[in-house]
Amino acid sequence: MTALWTIFKLILRAQPAALWRGAVLGFVVLVMGAALLGLSGWFITAAAAAGLAGVGAVFDVFRPSAMVRFLALGRAAARYGERILTHDATLRALEVLRMRLLAGLMVAPYPRMVRIRGAQALNRLTADVDALDGVSLRLVLPVIAGLVTQILAFVMLWWLVSLPIALWIFAGYVMGALVIGWKATHKTARLSRRAEAAGQAFRARLIDMIHARRDLAVHGHLTVQADDVDDADTRRLALQLQQEQFGRVSGAAFSILGTVVAGGTLWIGIAMVQAGAIAPAFAALGFFAALALAETVAPLRRAASDYGRMAEAARRVARDVATPLPETGVAKETTGALQINAVSLTRPQSDALIFNDLSLNIQMGETVALTGKSGAGKSTLLLAIAGLHPVAQGQIKIGDLRVTDMDEASLRNHVTLLPQRSVLMRGTVREALCLVAPDCDDAALWRVLETVQLRVLLDQREGLDTMVGTQGDALSGGEARRLTLARALLRRPDLLLLDEPTEGLDEKTGRAVLQGIRGTLPNAAILIAAHRDIETQFADRTFALQ
Amino acid sequence: MPAQDLSEPQTTAKKPAKGWLAPGHQNQRKAARLAVIASLIWPFQAWLVAFALGGLLTGETVSAAFVAVGFIALGLLRAVLGYMSEKHGEKAAIKVIRAARAQIVGREAKRAEACDFCGAGSIAALAGEKLDLLAPFIIRYAPARARVMVVPLVILALAVWQSWAVAVIFVISGPLIPVFMALVGMAAKEASRDQMAEVGTLNDLLVERLSALVDIRLLGAQDAVLSGFETQAQGLRQRTMAVLRVAFLSSTVLELFAAIGVAMIAVYVGFSLLGALEFGAWGGAVTPQAGIFLLLLAPEFYQPLRDLAAAWHDKAAADAVLEELSAWDRTDTQSLMGLGGPSARLDGPASVELHGVALHGGITLNDFDIRAGETVALMGASGTGKTSTLRAIAGLVQPVSGKIMVAGHPLNSETADPWRARIGWMPQAPHFLSASLRYNLTLGDGGDPTDALKQAAVMDVVTGLPHGLHTRLGETGGGLSGGEARRVTLARAIYSKPDIILADEPTADLDAQTAAAVTEGLLAQAAKGVTLIVATHDAALAAKMDRIITIGGAQ
Repeated sequence: MTALWTIFKLILRAQPAALWRGAVLGFVVLVMGAALLGLSGWFITAAAAAGLAGVGAVFDVFRPSAMVRFLALGRAAARYGERILTHDATLRALEVLRMRLLAGLMVAPYPRMVRIRGAQALNRLTADVDALDGVSLRLVLPVIAGLVTQILAFVMLWWLVSLPIALWIFAGYVMGALVIGWKATHKTARLSRRAEAAGQAFRARLIDMIHARRDLAVHGHLTVQADDVDDADTRRLALQLQQEQFGRVSGAAFSILGTVVAGGTLWIGIAMVQAGAIAPAFAALGFFAALALAETVAPLRRAASDYGRMAEAARRVARDVATPLPETGVAKETTGALQINAVSLTRPQSDALIFNDLSLNIQMGETVALTGKSGAGKSTLLLAIAGLHPVAQGQIKIGDLRVTDMDEASLRNHVTLLPQRSVLMRGTVREALCLVAPDCDDAALWRVLETVQLRVLLDQREGLDTMVGTQGDALSGGEARRLTLARALLRRPDLLLLDEPTEGLDEKTGRAVLQGIRGTLPNAAILIAAHRDIETQFADRTFALQ
Repeated sequence: MPAQDLSEPQTTAKKPAKGWLAPGHQNQRKAARLAVIASLIWPFQAWLVAFALGGLLTGETVSAAFVAVGFIALGLLRAVLGYMSEKHGEKAAIKVIRAARAQIVGREAKRAEACDFCGAGSIAALAGEKLDLLAPFIIRYAPARARVMVVPLVILALAVWQSWAVAVIFVISGPLIPVFMALVGMAAKEASRDQMAEVGTLNDLLVERLSALVDIRLLGAQDAVLSGFETQAQGLRQRTMAVLRVAFLSSTVLELFAAIGVAMIAVYVGFSLLGALEFGAWGGAVTPQAGIFLLLLAPEFYQPLRDLAAAWHDKAAADAVLEELSAWDRTDTQSLMGLGGPSARLDGPASVELHGVALHGGITLNDFDIRAGETVALMGASGTGKTSTLRAIAGLVQPVSGKIMVAGHPLNSETADPWRARIGWMPQAPHFLSASLRYNLTLGDGGDPTDALKQAAVMDVVTGLPHGLHTRLGETGGGLSGGEARRVTLARAIYSKPDIILADEPTADLDAQTAAAVTEGLLAQAAKGVTLIVATHDAALAAKMDRIITIGGAQ
């Protein structure tokens, strides 16, 4: 509930004016609807009474029938306006929320970032955020509009008809809706959580199956994986069926509520007419108003069946949004070489030391190869220099600034790290490169492609429009590696950190690529986590990690 | 999943769009029938009310208890019937969605490669939330349509019985609605289709961006990616609003039609009751009872039409989904050989022969003959087909021509699974499943991976992970270094005790020392008699093999 309220406040904050206007129109729709039906019932019955009494000629038909026309047209127009306003405002607010979630993911701590699975994160951004449109559209705004309408109707019916009828309708609808709403929301949240978990499992397993289908096939596990996907779906549908059962029961309960309130109004009305307390026309007014006021609780039906899904989505999204985005600090300019002074690093999320008391300086224009066996901490050191791994002791400085003191933007301006597993995204070669070079000048792109020995190869295909494929599928391992290198070079950093840059390249190409890198960035300090001879031979000196 | 073999070129008939809905037809019919009966209860309730209010005017004795209890009892019956109708509708929806989903999963498990729009994000969206869009259509459309066929006619008959003038109003205003709806329906369908396509694109884009978060951050491209996403998301919102605008406009117009119809009837009835109009009813003016009855019936005459109009938009969304399903159904890609399921091992020596094998995309593979127990390096420049050769040997692609002999048998859909049961597989870029490391190694067979981890010289790395074998890694091995992930992949290959190992660049990410350890691990397997085929650039590794085959020199 708290989470739902948090989300509603976020939505409201994004689009306050439109939502308030929408809420007012929603109220107008309900009031006009109740007035329309009540007036019509009164009009017909009063007309009949006048006709029977023989005073039909003096009965004012024009004002009531003009009112009927006004209410009918006004209600339709108000409803259209209300729907457009609230939907547009909600969708806009959700877009803001989605952007906020994505921005949050982009600055997540590195250890969390590498474990983020596209499928699950996607669910948060799409399915969960989509589920939240109901918070304003089907829960909060309709409840407010409905309650205000009920209060107004209570006052009007008390004044026009009688207190017992007004009280019966008001108490019936409000208490009934409370009881049904409480019952429905009470049980569905847990079911919804389980259904969501099953849905997540289905999605994650399906995506695993598609991404890893070749590996799974060779391991004879593809059919098992497909069955697992099916199992998750079966579980989800079974839970969904239970949820729908609750939705149906509350739907039937709301329908019965409307009938009971209207029937009761009829009873009280007839009894009062027979006792001579009110005219038949006013009994009709009460009954027709009671029928129309069923509309104040009608949206709750959807809300009740969606409640679990909404509440769960709100809980997850509110949790993610609660983590504040880091402040964008003042950009700090620095120049100069890399200095690593007596640095100790530990394994991720543990106190186990990887290495201790390491010092290393690299001058501008110098290339250093970092060697050491797998697990010695080459990659971790590069991550620490790039500000993605905590420095346990000592300090890493660029010029006179510590990397831990630099804000994200200026750090990235100075330092570019090409990690071992650099990922390409579906699209053309041009799109892959323009990600980092927004001005995206073809000549510049071709120059950098030349540097990494891709020019000839791409010339034979469709040039800059060559498709890269999902996760770089359409390229060979070596081609993909060179394209990610080109992407890093376009950043033109002062300090370039390369983690095994020539992986997947044959010797000749590897050497040419390394020469090209130096040619493109003659003044940059370059640190290479090296595992091949061509890399250590290319460097000005070698630094061995123990 | 059906155990039929679909690895031969797809011969299954492609479904027309409607075929996807067949599993739910029976329940849908029941739902429709119940919905019609539920709607037909209202005239009885209306008659009770008219009888009571009219009776009060004309001074007849009216029992308040009888009227109220009768009204409520009928309402209860209506609620129960509505409940049952929905229940059948939901059952139908679940049957349809389940069948379609099973088909998508089954078919995707057969593909040898991703088809053009079969990105994991698109397929997950199609099999997930898009299929769910069929439910509102299935639940609401058929019952609404059935009610449109019956309820307005019944109310018209009741109107004719009471007053021909009211019937005339119905006859004139009623048909306008379907005509209008047909026009709106066309616009709605187009808008829905646009929106649907946009959802898929956005999902694919997001899945990829989310898998590349680290790169995006290191490249300082957050703002570029965010603004790209914002543009896409705005596009989606505009298309969604386009769909909604059509929906809201049409329901507003319908509401107006209905309101005008009801108002005309109210005015006629009012004047008639006042005695100002002497025509329209059989035998003069309408009675108060008939007047109130007609007024209560009038909104219900239009209601099924309005419900159908609302469901029309569910139909538009569902049609767009069905079209996409059919488009997906038409995508043909190569299939895997065999099912990719568990199987007994193929008999015969672990040998491989390739004769004139050509693959899709014009790749011709070298002819060669590898005997059981031999160790072979496939070398050649990047992009010459080393990986394709390994895939062909594993039966992951269907050759266009030529012959692959494995263990003395031709490699085909019958022998592929038994053959693969003997293969240890080391892909170049491993994908880790969303499960524990233990599951990733053993694939849930309950065995102990310790031995394989030791042989791959990666046991100490695993013990050093925060949760050991229970650690969940990122999709591409996030949480391990490249060399560590590579050795885990080797452990996975060794774990199944293969007698042939196919390794794609097994030493690519490794420093000299670790590369030597992996090479030793592989050679230790070879020493046990395992056939070893490695695709590599690593001269040191290649030198340790019995033989080097240079790929790319194919005729």
